[in-house]
Amino acid sequence: MVKIKTDILIIGSGPAGLNAAYTAASHGANVIIVDEAITIGGQLKQQTQILNNLPGEFNSQRGFSLVDDFYERLKSLPITFLLRHTMIGIYKNNSIGVTNGKETFPITYKKLIIATGAAEEATIFPGWTLPGVMTIGAAQILLNREHVLPGNEAIILGFNEFSLEVGKQLESCGVNIKAIVAKGNYDVELFHEAKNVGIRVVSNATIISATGVNEVEKVVLNIDGIEEEHMVDLVCIGNRLSPILEAFEILSCQLAYQEDLGGLFPKYYNSLETTNTSVYVAGNAAGITNIGGILITGEIAAWNALYSLELLEYSQFKNRSRALWEQLYRIEESQVFKARIAAIKETYKDESLALPPFVELLLEEC
Amino acid sequence: MSKRYDIVIIGSGVIGSSIAYHLSESQQEEVLVIDKGFPLSGTSGSTQAWVWVHSKAPASYGELSMFSAELYPILEKKIGDVEYKRTGGISPFFSESEREKALMLAEKQATVGIPIEVLSQEEVLSREPALSPNIVGATYSPIDGNVNPFRLVELFIRAAKKNNVEFSFYTSVTSILKKNGLFEIETEKGGKYTAKKIIFAGGPWMKELASLIDIKVPVKQVRGQILITEPLTNLIKHTIAGMRQADNGEVLIGYSLEEVGYDRRTTLDIIQNTAQMAIDYIPSLANANIVRAFSGIRVIPEDELPIIGEIPNVENAYISVMHSGITLSPIIGTLMAELLLHGDTSIDLQQYSLSRFDK
Repeated sequence: MVKIKTDILIIGSGPAGLNAAYTAASHGANVIIVDEAITIGGQLKQQTQILNNLPGEFNSQRGFSLVDDFYERLKSLPITFLLRHTMIGIYKNNSIGVTNGKETFPITYKKLIIATGAAEEATIFPGWTLPGVMTIGAAQILLNREHVLPGNEAIILGFNEFSLEVGKQLESCGVNIKAIVAKGNYDVELFHEAKNVGIRVVSNATIISATGVNEVEKVVLNIDGIEEEHMVDLVCIGNRLSPILEAFEILSCQLAYQEDLGGLFPKYYNSLETTNTSVYVAGNAAGITNIGGILITGEIAAWNALYSLELLEYSQFKNRSRALWEQLYRIEESQVFKARIAAIKETYKDESLALPPFVELLLEEC
Repeated sequence: MSKRYDIVIIGSGVIGSSIAYHLSESQQEEVLVIDKGFPLSGTSGSTQAWVWVHSKAPASYGELSMFSAELYPILEKKIGDVEYKRTGGISPFFSESEREKALMLAEKQATVGIPIEVLSQEEVLSREPALSPNIVGATYSPIDGNVNPFRLVELFIRAAKKNNVEFSFYTSVTSILKKNGLFEIETEKGGKYTAKKIIFAGGPWMKELASLIDIKVPVKQVRGQILITEPLTNLIKHTIAGMRQADNGEVLIGYSLEEVGYDRRTTLDIIQNTAQMAIDYIPSLANANIVRAFSGIRVIPEDELPIIGEIPNVENAYISVMHSGITLSPIIGTLMAELLLHGDTSIDLQQYSLSRFDK
């Protein structure tokens, strides 16, 4: 059996994992990144929209070009990429097991950073399993990564920034968006944005059913009590995201719940260390946030892992760590940041530990 | 004000639930069952659920297991379909030297009427063609089988509820005091109960529970990790030492025993060893995908035999704790109901008394 050892092992090569890897490897740590996909980048690869809220060291750019940016930064650093490898379990003593489908082998780590990202939540209605019904993210992958048009006539269920963005991308490729179905009332600004590009938004609405032979052909909507039928071959479900937790569960990290962080997530301290010593969390797995928050949490986790490996001076660590938290405070939506700090406070309380003064300060700030 | 019951059972696993159901059949007593979690979230829900008799030693323990297996078809008529299947059990061996041990086992078990055949390699492979040709023989008994533990525990509870047994879940017992001949029981969520009689059926938590009345129960917590394959077409018919195939085609595999406390994680070293053992028995499993692994914490008394009956020196307190709770639950429920309702049992339980550990 292959025996592999590393200072810092990172699960997931999305933006959080890549930024953690860059930070860790450029400060002298050996790094391995494991990802089940065939290329790095995670969900960035199909993001064709311009990402504006990036931390200062990154230029505003589209998601796929940010992946190229990372590739350039990382290629000269001591990082091993294990692509097409999946974490499937643990061995004793700080070793996880990964498989490539043929062999399963252990990787021993000093510190583990889990950046598994988030999954889209589905909505269940009669006919939701018909081919042609998919999440909005899946439609985007088909369109931008696989270059396949997912349909011609579409209904989008769920009205938010991301579903509108993908709706626009679909329209620009010739898909007719018949309506975006908003559950309750909608954000007025977002509504005007949709109106400007000629996309109809219906509020207080739901999907009653999707029907069709072998694939979706018709959708019946309930719009404020009135039924409306649409002939469609594509239904996109654009719900919220929730953290992907399997790796944390396998490692017995304790979980907590915060609505504003996307539901269940692994408990963590302000070091982003979970309740399982030496296991850190970063990115959307630590609570659903924007791209800026994803990148910064990746860096925070890496700095803390580096410091506990004694690869950093205290003053260097302390200054950078504070700066990162302040940056996170500025870049993240305030309710997400608040929920995050509240969650950290809970972790300290549950473990009967005193809250560090710095976290108290952040609490006051928000 | 505390609520009064005739009997309080602590633990609603397969043993506690079976005792509750069997007690309720007479509808004489007011019974409450308290569980710290929810039924099937612990040991009873994390098992391969064999009803296994043939290799249980000594023979008297084998006999008790056989009686229990014989009760299953009757139990199903009373509480409903628990998917009990008497598949027959095969316990293969890989070297000729083990044949002698197998013959001795067959001889001993015959004294209490457990039918065991010692099969030649040819006979094993004709009964179960998927087994490895490296197997040189096996013991076989038609009495062994398996059951669906989820249906079993659920139907015990449903039948007991129909007979007015009360259940209180998600609350652990925090204190037990004996005053004026009655047990005063308090739970985590503020429940207060008094009981004339109390039954401890706490499975792997028995040590902690018994310490509430200053009693020592010598049991170990032992982790078993179980693998589940993707659904496969009919591969094995029998319950084979270490594995069985469920109705939906999934094969359940498990051999491991580890003393690691109450830690229900699965670990890849054990998963890989277990998979290798499964392939040693059934080579074609090498092509099967494992879709899931889980672990269960079993309770095993120090001498591996059940602890059943009255608790010495604490009047009206009873205990039922054992490994193989699934196999034994019908007979244990029956005997405990006899003991509590009539003060006597149709099978002598002396050898299973907690007092045996005093010596």
